[in-house]
Amino acid sequence: MLPAQPKAPMPTLAAAQPSQFAVENVDFAYPGHAVFRGLSLRAQPGEFLVLLGPSGCGKTTLLNLLAGFMAPASGRVLLDDSPVRPEHPALGYVFQSPQLFPWLSALENVRFGLRMAGRGSEAEQRALAIEHLALVGLADAADKLPHQLSGGMQQRVALARTLALQPGVLLMDEPFAALDAITRIKLNEETLRIWSQLRQTVVFITHDIDEALFLADRILVLAPAPGGIAAEFDIALPRPRAAATRQLAQFAHYRQQVSACIADLQLQPLAA
Amino acid sequence: MTSVNHRWPRWLRPGWGWLSLPALLLGWIVVASRFPAYVLPPPWDVAAEGWRWLQQGKLGEQLWASLGRELAGFVAATIAAMAVGTLAGLYKGFRDFVTPLNGLFMAIPPVAWAPLTLIIFGIGNLAIIVVIFIAAVFPMTTTIQEGVAAIQIGAIRAARTLGANRRQLLWHVYLPASLPALTAALRIGFSQAWRALVAAEMIGASRGIGWMVAMGGQVGNSAQVLLGIALIGVMAWLAESLLFRRLDQHYQAWRPS
Ligand SMILES: Nc1ncnc2c1ncn2[C@@H]1O[C@H](COP(=O)(O)OP(=O)(O)OP(=O)(O)O)[C@@H](O)[C@H]1O
Ligand SMILES: [Mg+2]
Repeated sequence: MLPAQPKAPMPTLAAAQPSQFAVENVDFAYPGHAVFRGLSLRAQPGEFLVLLGPSGCGKTTLLNLLAGFMAPASGRVLLDDSPVRPEHPALGYVFQSPQLFPWLSALENVRFGLRMAGRGSEAEQRALAIEHLALVGLADAADKLPHQLSGGMQQRVALARTLALQPGVLLMDEPFAALDAITRIKLNEETLRIWSQLRQTVVFITHDIDEALFLADRILVLAPAPGGIAAEFDIALPRPRAAATRQLAQFAHYRQQVSACIADLQLQPLAA
Repeated sequence: MTSVNHRWPRWLRPGWGWLSLPALLLGWIVVASRFPAYVLPPPWDVAAEGWRWLQQGKLGEQLWASLGRELAGFVAATIAAMAVGTLAGLYKGFRDFVTPLNGLFMAIPPVAWAPLTLIIFGIGNLAIIVVIFIAAVFPMTTTIQEGVAAIQIGAIRAARTLGANRRQLLWHVYLPASLPALTAALRIGFSQAWRALVAAEMIGASRGIGWMVAMGGQVGNSAQVLLGIALIGVMAWLAESLLFRRLDQHYQAWRPS
């Protein structure tokens, strides 16, 4: 007889172990188009890191490198000190578009990762999925199919689906860029609320300065390709942040600094 | 969803669609009244002809002969199209190789192969089944191939970051994501196979609905020809509305727009 298989532990809605990310001296190019040269950056455990850059500067490319979908030509990407790969259990990715599975209900979408990992019984998986849907305010939509949900709701289901696996790091690629301004502000606040509860490391990508300021502990400004980090800003705005945060004089001050930096970058002649 | 008409299945609800068949019959009657019955018989003559065939026990024989060939060719084409279409959808090199061949064969009307298959396989079921297979397999392959190729890289990447391994990807993402294309392919394949079947039977069969139509023409029995045509239409319509359209609609709902 086989010895009893140790069952993978069933996670609960609790703080994940935050991961750390290190990008070391990475070069990357698409055929005939260099994107990064000597890029290095670090995300500290539990940090909310925002990467800010204009369209086409390589933000999605960087996130795909961070997730291990593409390998750098040289240099290393380390997640908790081991080379990253997309299936890494500590890695969570919220894509630019929701990427829900259209044949699965919201609940089954959120349960997908738990099911693949075989964590817990079906009842436990469903309970955890419901908990995470409730976390993003969508417990009522559990049985709806993705096409029955609005774009904002779909993106929240996608967030819940990623969070259900309790990733130590959350990669978010302009997850709210396609949404209207009101929904986006609401989801920004929701993201911060969830993050303050779960405290993963977050790497969040955006081209919106206000969104970056509102969310970040630290902002890295990406230089136009081929390049790397052009500037770094520590955002010492008090937490918890809310609508009033945007009215602070400090907020306006940061915005002015970051805008000036980006304007400078646009003016520089492109490196050969 | 509105609450009206909830008690009725969609195809039973009142609508303009219910007028089309009576209008067709009326048009037929009007036109037929201008010709002698042995040239263009009215609907009741055709019904009487059907009754005669039924009583002689020969109608079922023709139907079964045709349906058997249809199923054999269609099932074989489905299996081949699923294998080739899936591989071509997954691997771009193979897709580039298969696509021109598919396009070439789809441009040729399938009956054109009938004389050749009759020479190779002799008169009999096999020659006709091969024609049906040829008629169905190319459009089905193309449909499945496009469906599999269109599975978005995003869905695959999402599944991978959620921890799915290769086998789980195939089973939990590729398979369900290609079901809409598969049901569409079944629908297209069945109707293409049916058209080819009738045409091939008119050339090289001694039984079946196509043979019935061809024989009617040779002996100058217009009612028999029209009976055959009506049966062809009714069978195709039944398969379409009872089976394939429903399958298709079921999966259309979650096909990404
Ligand atoms: N598959 C590819 N092959 C070749 N070049 C590519 C490919 N994907 C992106 N690029 C190029 O690499 C650069 C960076 O693209 P990337 O998608 O990372 O930009 P981005 O910062 O995410 O832009 P956006 O804000 O519009 O999403 C762009 O100039 C783009 O044209
Ligand atoms: Mg992008």
